[in-house]
Amino acid sequence: MGAQFLIYGILYVVAVVGGLMVLFNRDTVKSAMSLVLVMLALAGHYFYMGQEFVGAIQIIVYAGAIMVLFLFVIMLLNMREREVMPWYLRSSRYTGAVLALAFFFLIAFGISTFGAVEVASATARPAPSNNEIFSMLMTKYLVPFLLTSVLLLVAVIGAVVMGRRHDPETGEEYLIDDEEMA
Amino acid sequence: MEPTFIYTLVLSATLFTFGIIGVMWKRNAISIFMNVELMLNAANLAFVAFAREFGLIQGGPLVLFVMTVAAAEAGVGLAIFIAIYRTRRHIRADEIDLLRG
Repeated sequence: MGAQFLIYGILYVVAVVGGLMVLFNRDTVKSAMSLVLVMLALAGHYFYMGQEFVGAIQIIVYAGAIMVLFLFVIMLLNMREREVMPWYLRSSRYTGAVLALAFFFLIAFGISTFGAVEVASATARPAPSNNEIFSMLMTKYLVPFLLTSVLLLVAVIGAVVMGRRHDPETGEEYLIDDEEMA
Repeated sequence: MEPTFIYTLVLSATLFTFGIIGVMWKRNAISIFMNVELMLNAANLAFVAFAREFGLIQGGPLVLFVMTVAAAEAGVGLAIFIAIYRTRRHIRADEIDLLRG
């Protein structure tokens, strides 16, 4: 229990510190790298909870694919400029922080009243294995699983349509603008 | 009940709160987007924690679906940002008010 709990604590601290770094880094690239750190820590949590499938998917899809896409777009738009808030936005930050903290305490209150369901968990089944998750995807959740492929196809087409460079006069399509590169 | 279950839920709530604060604080549209991803991650963590605690199988598929939606959202959203950047040369969320009534 001791060593395991230590690993859990380290993952916990890394996740929280990474979240703070996402919040307080003004450099977008550093913010994105901190988000990768949070995602890896959460993958560690999934491994700790015995959900290897979810943890692997977390590393491959989130930390691998989605964050690379983010970093690629940051690179493409050359956004190394630091974020500076104009005066009219500064005061609203405090309002936002207070509202978010209120939300946190609302959730914390909900979690603290969780002792009531302890009885239900005593009779619960053991944690599901990866086999069960896979067979669930292929049987009960087959239709939603197939629909996700349609969703991804729509997203791919949408991304291409939104991202292409289209000249309305000549009808010409190209990816890189010459004058932008100059 | 495993002692870490409550802690994991608190971590999920904390990360979700960070995401909310980030969405309200950041000005850069990509930073806002990254904080949305942080919130989705926090929700995923809660899903897995509940599935583990109560022995439910549904947690894994649900997380998979959330990740698919997040991937699709990231792809289309970032393409929109690139399209906006082409005409405006910036993606500051407070200045893009084309649809403001």
